Amino acid sequence: MKRRNRSTWLGQRRKRLAGQARLFPLLLLAFFFLPVLVVLGQAFLRDQAWPELLAFLRSRQFQKVLVFSTGEAFWSACFSLALALPGAYFFGRYRFPGKRLLRSVLVLPFMLPGILVVLAMVVFYGQNGVFNSWLAALFPGQNRSFTGLYGFWGIVLTHVFYNFAFCLRMLGERWERISPQLEEASATLGAGRFTTWWRVILPLLAPTIGYLGALVFLYSFLSFTVVLVLGGYLYQTFEVLIYIEYNHKLRFNQASMLAAVQMIILAAILTFQRWTQRLSDRQNGTVSPLPPWQPKKQPVGAFFFLIYLTGSFFFFFLPLLFVLIRSFKERGQPEGLWTLTNYQDLLGTGFRFAVGSDLWTVVGTSLVLALTVGLVTTILAYLLARQRRLLPWGKLDLWFQLPMGVSFLTFAFGLLRLAGRSLPPVLLIIWAQIFLAFPLVYSLLRTARREGGEDYLAAAQTLGASGWELFWTVEFPLMRKALASAFAYGVALSLGDLSAVLVLGQGKVITLSVAVYRLIGHYHFPQAVALGTLFILLAVLLFALVEQGNRRFWSAERGEGSR
Amino acid sequence: MKEDFLQIDVTKGYPEFQLEVQLTVAEGEFFSLVGPSGCGKTTLLRLISGLTRPDQGRIILNDRDLTALTVWERKIGFVFQDYALFPHLTVGGNIEYGLKIQRLPGSQRQERIKKMLALFELEELVDRRVQELSGGERQRVALARALAPEPFLLLLDEPFAALDYGLRRRLRRELKELQTKLGFTAIFVTHQQEEALSLSDRLAVMAAGRILQVGTAAEVYSNPVHPFVATFLGDANLIPCTVQSGPEGLTVHPQGGKSLLLPSAPGRVCGSYLLMLRPEDLFLTTDAPVFTGEIRTAEYIGYGFSAEVEVGGGLILKLLTGKENPLLPGERVGLAFRPQAAKVIPDGAHHLAN
Repeated sequence: MKRRNRSTWLGQRRKRLAGQARLFPLLLLAFFFLPVLVVLGQAFLRDQAWPELLAFLRSRQFQKVLVFSTGEAFWSACFSLALALPGAYFFGRYRFPGKRLLRSVLVLPFMLPGILVVLAMVVFYGQNGVFNSWLAALFPGQNRSFTGLYGFWGIVLTHVFYNFAFCLRMLGERWERISPQLEEASATLGAGRFTTWWRVILPLLAPTIGYLGALVFLYSFLSFTVVLVLGGYLYQTFEVLIYIEYNHKLRFNQASMLAAVQMIILAAILTFQRWTQRLSDRQNGTVSPLPPWQPKKQPVGAFFFLIYLTGSFFFFFLPLLFVLIRSFKERGQPEGLWTLTNYQDLLGTGFRFAVGSDLWTVVGTSLVLALTVGLVTTILAYLLARQRRLLPWGKLDLWFQLPMGVSFLTFAFGLLRLAGRSLPPVLLIIWAQIFLAFPLVYSLLRTARREGGEDYLAAAQTLGASGWELFWTVEFPLMRKALASAFAYGVALSLGDLSAVLVLGQGKVITLSVAVYRLIGHYHFPQAVALGTLFILLAVLLFALVEQGNRRFWSAERGEGSR
Repeated sequence: MKEDFLQIDVTKGYPEFQLEVQLTVAEGEFFSLVGPSGCGKTTLLRLISGLTRPDQGRIILNDRDLTALTVWERKIGFVFQDYALFPHLTVGGNIEYGLKIQRLPGSQRQERIKKMLALFELEELVDRRVQELSGGERQRVALARALAPEPFLLLLDEPFAALDYGLRRRLRRELKELQTKLGFTAIFVTHQQEEALSLSDRLAVMAAGRILQVGTAAEVYSNPVHPFVATFLGDANLIPCTVQSGPEGLTVHPQGGKSLLLPSAPGRVCGSYLLMLRPEDLFLTTDAPVFTGEIRTAEYIGYGFSAEVEVGGGLILKLLTGKENPLLPGERVGLAFRPQAAKVIPDGAHHLAN
């Protein structure tokens, strides 16, 4: 009798837990999507909404923004992939010394805050940048210079800077998963190198190329910081236009409509991206042992690879390096003397005047915001990932990836309408940044949970561990690196965010990104590069933390070729 | 039938390993390369196919020197250990691949695909993705794909390695039937002695990059010329002995046993040798045993007993007996064998060490 009572109680408890388990993701979704629904409601559920929408779709402004956004996103995706492909070949087909380190470093540009990338590009490729000073030295008196940074191709160049390394890494990893034996099989069936590439390798890479293309297109299409600074009023993405309509012109209806139109376009891109991702996953093999790279036996290949590495270094690391160098130069000028003045000026009134706050408040605000966002996002994402194992809910996962397809500005903007009057700006920013970081952090932790540890947990349970004891003794040590990595991503995304702070901070919350943005806006370049350098160091630190966790999930086993 | 259809004389050096092979394969022959992992079997297949280049030597197939040709010019089919089926193509697409590369006209191509599908009973799977196939089905697709372009020679690199025992047995029987029916020349790599013995017209036993012996399965099993061959193909007792050659035959003085007279064997002169006895060739006797000793272990193995008997000088002999002779550890027994079953082979351990 007693036993029956106990089992009934256990059954009820289990039901209650299952109920709670379903409630949690739904609550989370509500927090994510309510602001979006507010924007959609404002766009479509009001008088004159549809006529206005149709009129907007026919307007020159819409066409101009659409043509620009699509064009720059298309070219950014094309160039990122075209530049990544040759490097991916070396990464995907050979073992060589330093490959692991090089692969790790490739994530760095992706971790950098948008405003820092813009700063680095301005310092290096800008009108008075390093690149132009080199051109002038190379061709004295010929007045040769690169003037395109503040324009269409400058924006494309910056997006390529942002995305190329990420594409290279992902493509290289995909290539590693195409067994070299497929090429051999093709050769034994009579196919030459080009035919094999065309008929076997390219079709196998195609889904990944499509996926990455869609991803870069999406990021570039949604680009805010880069276009805001480099595009001025001449070039605008939907994001920038929404920001201008709302923040400068105070036209909420117009901004809602823009956001809604953008969401429809994004849904199409996301559908394509998801399709390519499924295709790519379906063909995913295991990593095969790769042959060592032998430069002596392949001198032509070695030559091209070295050229490629040098070119990539020039393209990526020199701009960042020159931010660092110029931060120690008088007035931030290349010909200036070495000095610490730029750093000292960060504590001065000039800084306070340009930025609107003193350095310590800016750094403190940024860190508090970033740490809070990192922590809360990691906890929420981990709880969800844990439940994902217990309660398979299939397509619900897709909804948690959807924040990627909702423009961040749209969200921030909906949030402001929803809770702008009841919550302080700092809380609004935290809410928005959790939304921003969640898809990436969740997908990282979900993969970690899937790949590691169910058997260990089961083993610990058979040995009597349960509840907190199980968590602290087995689960946490196993997940520690993934959690650290997820946390670092959350912190990095928060630190790098500019749009949410601009929209939701209402000028009262000033973070490092906002400070650099304002310093650039006020042409305080010496201080901008000094602050940028501190910012880069912070990003590198976070990157190291991410890499430590990532190694387990991204690294591939390598061994000798079979005899 | 051309006896020297394929002639191989190649060397290939690796830091830890040197491959040196001279070999001839006849037309229509099913030839197996057998040896332990890492002995160079796959390297030899790769050299024949052109996937690896030799340091020196030549490979001649049907009077055509292949040495300078690329892989895709050789027209040699290859079935890989894990099949290497193209994951982006269907079963039909995989079989069609080589034919497309050959630029075979559409109608002929379809005809050939149909023939292959029928031959390998794959008709119903033609539109199936290769990831959806079972191990056996994949293996059949890999064979069909390799055979569709009608190669001069088919190379098979342990194609049954990934399959379970029952399936492996069925498929190897099917493969042999197919080869007999179609008459293609095949070189088959395996490290499984049972596979090599049951499939091959002839086989070569390899170790450390060299071929130790070539012959039919029965020849190599019964008359191993090297201790490694004796122990790799089946179980063998190798008993150190001294041999004296006389007009009536070989007088053998085995360690731990009584001297005996064996028939003369070519090349066996006075000196130290190994007496090779298969466990199944030893029998229990009380009447003039060659060896006497104590049973150390005895295992019941269904159709009889497997035992280890310690004879003089600490030597352990393996023995297989039928059910009618239950064996018990500790029991003292006498062992003898038919003279024809015993082989005197040189102690060749130093050959392998080189």
